Amino acid sequence: MKEKSFIKMITGSREALLFFILIVMGILITILNPTFFSPVNIGQIFRNNALTMIMALGMLCVMLTAGIDISITSTLAFAGMTIGMLTKYNIVNSTLLLFLIAMVIGLLCGLLNGLIIAKGKVAPIICTMGFMYIWRGMAYVVGNSQFASGEDVREFAEFGKDGTIGPYIILIACYAVFFVMLKWTKFGRKIYAVGSNPEAAMISGINVDNTLVSVYTIMGLLAGLAGALSVSIYASAQPNMQYGREMDVIAACVIGGVSMSGGRGSVAGTFLGALIISIIAKALPLVNVPSIAQNTVKGVIILVVVIFNVITRRMVDKQNLERREM
Amino acid sequence: MAGKSGRTIKAEQKLTAKQLLFTWEGALVVLFIAVNIFNMSISQSYTLSNVLREMPKYLAEIFMLFPMAYILVLGDIDISVGSIVCLTGTVTCYISNAGAPFPVVILGCLLTGLLCGMLNGFITTSFPELPSMITTLGTQIIFRGIAEISLGGGGSVSYINTKQIMPLSTKLGKLVPVIILVVIVVAVIYTVVLQCTTFGRSLYAIGSNKVSAYYAGVDVQRCRFIAYSLMGLMAGMCGLFLTAYTYGANTTTGQGFEMEVIAMCVFGGIASTGGKGTLIGGITAGLIITLLRIALGQANVNSQMILVVVGALLIIAVLIPGIKGRIDDMKKLRSAA
Repeated sequence: MKEKSFIKMITGSREALLFFILIVMGILITILNPTFFSPVNIGQIFRNNALTMIMALGMLCVMLTAGIDISITSTLAFAGMTIGMLTKYNIVNSTLLLFLIAMVIGLLCGLLNGLIIAKGKVAPIICTMGFMYIWRGMAYVVGNSQFASGEDVREFAEFGKDGTIGPYIILIACYAVFFVMLKWTKFGRKIYAVGSNPEAAMISGINVDNTLVSVYTIMGLLAGLAGALSVSIYASAQPNMQYGREMDVIAACVIGGVSMSGGRGSVAGTFLGALIISIIAKALPLVNVPSIAQNTVKGVIILVVVIFNVITRRMVDKQNLERREM
Repeated sequence: MAGKSGRTIKAEQKLTAKQLLFTWEGALVVLFIAVNIFNMSISQSYTLSNVLREMPKYLAEIFMLFPMAYILVLGDIDISVGSIVCLTGTVTCYISNAGAPFPVVILGCLLTGLLCGMLNGFITTSFPELPSMITTLGTQIIFRGIAEISLGGGGSVSYINTKQIMPLSTKLGKLVPVIILVVIVVAVIYTVVLQCTTFGRSLYAIGSNKVSAYYAGVDVQRCRFIAYSLMGLMAGMCGLFLTAYTYGANTTTGQGFEMEVIAMCVFGGIASTGGKGTLIGGITAGLIITLLRIALGQANVNSQMILVVVGALLIIAVLIPGIKGRIDDMKKLRSAA
């Protein structure tokens, strides 16, 4: 009886399942390499993956409305490159101001995405694919075939230097804000409503278009913030930074149980999904798996988690059907 | 064709020149001509022989456009193809470097691609509840991951016996590269299959409405499986020709190809929601983007600026139907008032 309730708990809630996987992974890694659980390692896991984790929050909102945004890393590069150049040529040197500039650039990029998707009725993947090219191109144009090295952004990089708490504070603040927003505010519930059933949401008086625009704007804002963080943490600004990493962000959400058809997903799940990916990346070299196998393991885990999810749902459906027949 | 009830069963549609122009394909052909004129005006070296010389660099990608059109018509998507190109390129180099004869190399490459595609097809058809974007996101990471493992720490491999693979990059009669002929043959086959065969029409049926297609007796999952397998096969073809022009492979080979190919298809009027578009439009769009790239490259336009142009073209192209719909709605409202 107890076993059944355990299975039910795991299959019933994605967060519980992920937490279970996380604990199993933690135990396995600690058995293979006891040095894994040190404050330094844990700190590095969060610092190295702060960008993915922050952008996963925006992607969560976007995916809740049944959309997707693949332009985020291009927005990141555009915003990061702009502030990199601004500080390189000593036009702006205040860290706060640079962060704000990056966020405003991201916000505008996101706003444009949102307007075209909501008002122009364009499929999100197609629209953001166009902007993926445009912002990446703009990042190169802004850089004018130059890049900002560690020396150029020295002052700005103080903020995200190894050992500072800046990135952690931003990370925690973002998660706190989004947790509250999605759970308890009117706007957060609107996002879920729009994602579950846009027509029902519209009929019950929610402005679907505005919700969509704000969701993509938030995504852009977070991408801009991640751009500034990226320059700060890695102490460099290059036009090709984080190229192709948007798939990591999407993968974190997907592992975290965010449904691509909208309406299903949570901040806690997204966090756990992002954490699992980050831990794999960090732990593989520690348990003597060469780090070049990292991607293969990551891909297999994505497939296993989503397929496992489908199979359990099928089982639950079947059980429900049997119960009804009786 | 008046039936017993007096209703007209067959609606005869006569395409006037004006209507033909207003189809997406018609507009693309006009744009194609406009782009060529534009290209000639910005670049002095935009001549037939120069274009034929530079085209092969970009043409390997076009192979993937045809099956991607099938998959988009189905209402699915495949974002793993760039990684399949990387994997097949790597395998090609390894097989040849092990001393295999050329036919074996070609066979091995295409077979690898086909297997990758079949794996995609197997997963998507076994678990139809999963969005194909997620499945292929997983395999995208896995395929490139396998290539990374086999490439090892160095991250690249080169094709040692370059003379062996030379036939794929030669020119017939010193003008027409072999790859162009192969692309044309493949294009004709794929277009005919999509437009004129039962399989092709079932793809449209599935893309428009999966459930009704199923009840109409279309084997939905079999069609999807075939489409994904073909996608893998053509990604293998792309990997083969890419190797023939670059003499090697590395961990970034084919990165971003999937989005470029999808962009060409969508620009060509093949809606990502399924059931719409033709390969003629897709091919025209592919040619427009390729020619634009060549000419902008010749005119010394920053290669990154080309990205901006391609992105802007794509967004304008997808915005037009939406804007047109809005204008039509407004006209209706006005006439009602």
